[in-house]
Amino acid sequence: MVRDSLGYITHGSKPYHVWMIFLSAVMLVGMYCYSIQIEEGLSATGMTDRVSWGLYISNFTFLVGVAAAAVMLVMPTYVLHDIDFKHAVLIGEGLAVAALLMCLAFVVADMGGPSVLWHMIPGIGVFNFPSSMLAWDVIVLNGYLFINITIPLYILFRHYQGKEANPRVYIPGSILSVLWAVGIHLVTAFLYEGLQARPFWNNALLGPRFLASAFAAGPALIILVLAGIRSFTAFKIEDRTIKKIAMIVVVAAQINLIMLISELFKEFYAPTHHSESAYYLFFGLEGKTALLPWIWTAIPLNVLATILLTFHKLRNNPKVLYFCCFILFVAIWIEKGFGLIVPGFIPGPYGKIAEYTPTGVEIGVTLGIWAMGAFIFTMLAKTSIGIELGKLRYKKKSVRGSKTA
Amino acid sequence: MDGKKKWFTLDLGWNRKESDNSACGCGKSTGGCGSHSAPPRNDYSISAEEFDAAVEDTMAGEVQRDGFQQVFDVKMDRRTAFRKLTASLMVGAGAVGTSCSMVAGEETKEKAQIDWEEQFKGNYKLMTQEERQATVDRLVRSYQLRKKENIKMTATDASEDVLFGYAFNISKCQGYMDCVSACVKENNQDRNSEMQYIRIHEMKDGEGFKFNKADDNYYHEVPAEGHFYMGTQCFHCDNPPCVDVCPVEATWREKDGLVVIDYDWCIGCRYCMAACPYDGRRFNWSKPEVPEEEVNKNQHYLGNRMRKKGVMEKCTFCVQRSRSGKDPACVEACPTGARIFGNLLDPDSTIRWVLENKKVFRLKEDLGTEPKFWYFMD
Amino acid sequence: MIKSKILYVAVLLFCLCACKHEKGEYHSLREKIEAEGKKYHGTDISSEAYIGDIETVVITEGDDTFLIPERKGQIKSYACTECHSKPLAGMQHTITGQRAHWDITLGHADENAMNCATCHNGNDMDNLNSLTGNTVDFNTSYRLCSQCHAPQFEDWKGGAHGKNIGGWARPRAAMTCVNCHDPHRPGIPSKWPVRFNTQKVRERE
Repeated sequence: MVRDSLGYITHGSKPYHVWMIFLSAVMLVGMYCYSIQIEEGLSATGMTDRVSWGLYISNFTFLVGVAAAAVMLVMPTYVLHDIDFKHAVLIGEGLAVAALLMCLAFVVADMGGPSVLWHMIPGIGVFNFPSSMLAWDVIVLNGYLFINITIPLYILFRHYQGKEANPRVYIPGSILSVLWAVGIHLVTAFLYEGLQARPFWNNALLGPRFLASAFAAGPALIILVLAGIRSFTAFKIEDRTIKKIAMIVVVAAQINLIMLISELFKEFYAPTHHSESAYYLFFGLEGKTALLPWIWTAIPLNVLATILLTFHKLRNNPKVLYFCCFILFVAIWIEKGFGLIVPGFIPGPYGKIAEYTPTGVEIGVTLGIWAMGAFIFTMLAKTSIGIELGKLRYKKKSVRGSKTA
Repeated sequence: MDGKKKWFTLDLGWNRKESDNSACGCGKSTGGCGSHSAPPRNDYSISAEEFDAAVEDTMAGEVQRDGFQQVFDVKMDRRTAFRKLTASLMVGAGAVGTSCSMVAGEETKEKAQIDWEEQFKGNYKLMTQEERQATVDRLVRSYQLRKKENIKMTATDASEDVLFGYAFNISKCQGYMDCVSACVKENNQDRNSEMQYIRIHEMKDGEGFKFNKADDNYYHEVPAEGHFYMGTQCFHCDNPPCVDVCPVEATWREKDGLVVIDYDWCIGCRYCMAACPYDGRRFNWSKPEVPEEEVNKNQHYLGNRMRKKGVMEKCTFCVQRSRSGKDPACVEACPTGARIFGNLLDPDSTIRWVLENKKVFRLKEDLGTEPKFWYFMD
Repeated sequence: MIKSKILYVAVLLFCLCACKHEKGEYHSLREKIEAEGKKYHGTDISSEAYIGDIETVVITEGDDTFLIPERKGQIKSYACTECHSKPLAGMQHTITGQRAHWDITLGHADENAMNCATCHNGNDMDNLNSLTGNTVDFNTSYRLCSQCHAPQFEDWKGGAHGKNIGGWARPRAAMTCVNCHDPHRPGIPSKWPVRFNTQKVRERE
C-alpha cells in the first residue's frame, strides 16, 4: 500500500506538481527560519517576557479547533450511516490529521528546548499528569491523532483490498473519536481558562466558545477543500453533502456570535480592571493599538458571513457559500489566534503594556508549518481519493509493503 | 537483537573507559578495557573513585544481561534505560570510531561524555542524593573544562523547621535599586537582555496601588516627591500556579517554601510564565551572557548556576545563600532596611514579628496563591 | 514493560494523593505557619559566620536580645576626653584658630527641641546623657533615640525597622540607629538609582 500510494502521490497533473513544489519551497524557507531560531534562541521571534506566547501558540489554538471539527462529519457517516458524508469524511479526517501534525509542529516550534522534549514522554520523562493542562493536552492531541490515523487507514485499507470495512471495528472507534474531539478542544480551552493570572482567559465561556468557533471554522475549511477537490479531481462530491456541512457551519457560527455578544456585554457594560485586555483588543490602551486593524477586520467578517449564511437562498449559491466560508475562516483565525492569545498578556500582571509584533523568522516558520500541513493533507487526500475512486487497488506484488503500513 | 546487544555492551565499556583512563586506545569493540591502571590525573574535581562509583551504581544489575527487553525489565531508573537505549542506538549509528579514536583529545572526550550524561539525566526533584551530587560534579567539571575556572556548586537541601518568608516595607523603600543591582550580580542574570528578577514600581501617593500607572524603570533622583516605591519579584507562593501547570514538573515548591526550577529539565514552554499572576518568572530568549570576571562562582544547582538559552528562571530567594543562613542578596544590599527575610516557623524571628505586629498585606490575595511575601507600612 | 507502567501509574497516583493531602491540610498559609511553628525545634543553621569582621555587643531590650555593632571603636577620636580634658567653657574660648567638629551642624529637630546638650554632657564627654540626665553609653546610643522615636524603637526591636546584618538565622545581628542615621543630621539625602534598564524601554515602545 505504501509503495503503491507513494507511486500514486508522486504522479499527477501539472498543477499538482506545481502546487507540491510550491509547498516544498515554502517548507524549505520555514526550515531555514527555524534553523535561525534554533541558533539564536527564541529571541529571533517577537515574543518577550511580556508577551510570552505569540503567533505559534495562536495558530496552535486555532488548528486544534480545525482538527476537532472533523468529528462533525464522522458522526453522521459512520454512526448514522449517512452515505452522503462518506466521501467528505475521509477528507475531513485527513484534514484533522494534517491539522494535528501542524499543532504539534507549532508547539515544538514554540519550545525553548526542543532537544529535551523527551522529558514530556510518559515513562522516560516526568509527566505532571492530572495537574498540568498541557500534559492533558499532549495526551488528548496524540490520542486524537492516533484515532484519526487508524480509522481512515483501516477503511481505506479495506477498500484498497477491494473489501468493505467492518462497521463493528470502526464504529466504536468513531464514537470514541467524537467524544475525543470535543475533549481536545475543551482541554485546549482549559489550558487558558485555568489561569487565574490572566483574567481575559479566565472565563467560563472560553471553552464553549472554542467549540462553537471550531465547528464553524473547521467545516468551513472542509467546504473550501471539497470545492477544490471537486474542481481538480474526478472525486464526486454531491451538492447535498456540501449543503449539509454548510448547515453545520451556520449553526456553529450563530452560536459563536451569540457568545461573542455575551462576552462583549460582560466586558463593556460594567468594565472592571479585568476588562482591560478586551479594551486593548477592541479600542487600544494608552495609544497602543496594534491589534485594532485585526480585530476590526475579524468582527465584521464574522458578522457578515454569519448573516449571509443564515439565508437559505444565499447559502445555496455556491459562490456566496465559498466566499462566506472563506471570510468566516479568516475571521475566526484572527479572533481565535491573535485575538485570543496576545491580549491575554496585555496588559501584563502589573498593568504594563508591551506590544507584540511577530518577526520575519516567526512568520517564516509559521508559513512553513502551514505549508507542511497543506503538503501532508494533499498527500493524504490524493491517496484516499485514489482508493475511493478505485484507481489505487491492491495488487499481488505489494503485499510486503502493506504490512509496514 | 544480537547486534544491538553488542553495541549495548560496548557502551558500558565506553563509559568505564572514560572514567578511569585518560586515553583509551583499545580498539576492542566489545567489553570494557577493564584492567587499565589509572594514570595520574590533573586537578579533577570528581575523583575517579566517585565517578566510578556513580557509573557502577547505574550499571549494577545490567552488566550481565542482554537484550533490550531485559534491560527494561530490570528494576532500574527509566531514564537510565532511555539513556542506554539512545546511547546504544547512537553508538550503533557509528559513534564507535570517535569514542575509541586516539585522535580525539582526552578533554574533548570527557566534555562529550559529560554533555551526554547531562542531556539524558533525570529530573533533579526525583534524583537520589548520589545522583544529585553526580550531576553537580559533572557541571563543575564541565565549567572547568570549558572556562578553565573553578566554581563551587552546592546542592544543599531544604532544612527541617524552615519556611522562608519575606516582608517588604513600603514606607522605607526609597527606590535606589541597590537590590536590583545586587540581584543581577549574585544570580548571574543575562547582561545582554538586562534580565532582572526584581522590579521597583514608583507609585504616586494618594492613588493606591495603581501598578499600571506606576513607573518601574525610572531614572531620576529618588525618592521622588510625592511618590512611594514598591518592589516585586517571585513571591514564592505556597500554592503556586506555576508549579501546577508545568507539564514536566521542572518547577516545584521545596520543603522550605522556595519555588525552584531545574533548568536542565525545563522544556521552555513558558506555560508557567502565563500562569504567574506576579510577573515573577523570566525566560532566556537567547543565550545568557555574563562576563567571566563577573560570574558569581558560589553557586547552587537550583539557584544561580549558569543557565542556557530557552529555559525559565526566577528569583530563588538566593537559595545558594539562604540555605546556608545568609540573607538573600537583595536584603543584604538594601540600604534602607525595607527588606526583611527570615524563617516563618521560628516564633522569635523578625519576619514573624512583622507578621504579628504590623498591618501586613499581600498582592492579589484573592487569587488564593498564598504568596510568602508580605508588604507593610511603618 | 506493562508491569512497570502500572507501577509507574500507581506511584504517580500515590504521589498525587499525597501531595493533595499535604496541600489541603491547612486552610491558609497563616494557619500552616502557626501550626508548624508550634513544632519548631530550632535549626542547626547559623548566621554567625556572615557577621564578618564587625565587632558586636549583645543588647537586651524587653524580650529581644540581639547583637548590634560596637560603636566606640568606630568613632574617630574616642575617647572624647583625650581632647576634652578641661570643661567645655574653657575650650570654647581658646583662640588657637583650630576648631574641632567644624563639620558638624545640627540638623536634627529644631532649636527649641534639641541642641548639643540634649545628648552630650559637657561634664562627662565620654558618655551620652538622657533627657533626665542619666548616663548612656555610646554603645547603646539607641537609648537616646528611643526617647523621642518610640514607635521606631519598637519596630527596630522587633526587626521591622533597621537593617539586619549577615543572615536570617541565629544569632540575630542588626544595625543600630547611628549606623544608618547621622545623629546630628539623621535625614537621608536623596540620590540617583544605581541602574537603568534600557531593554525595558525598548520592549515597551
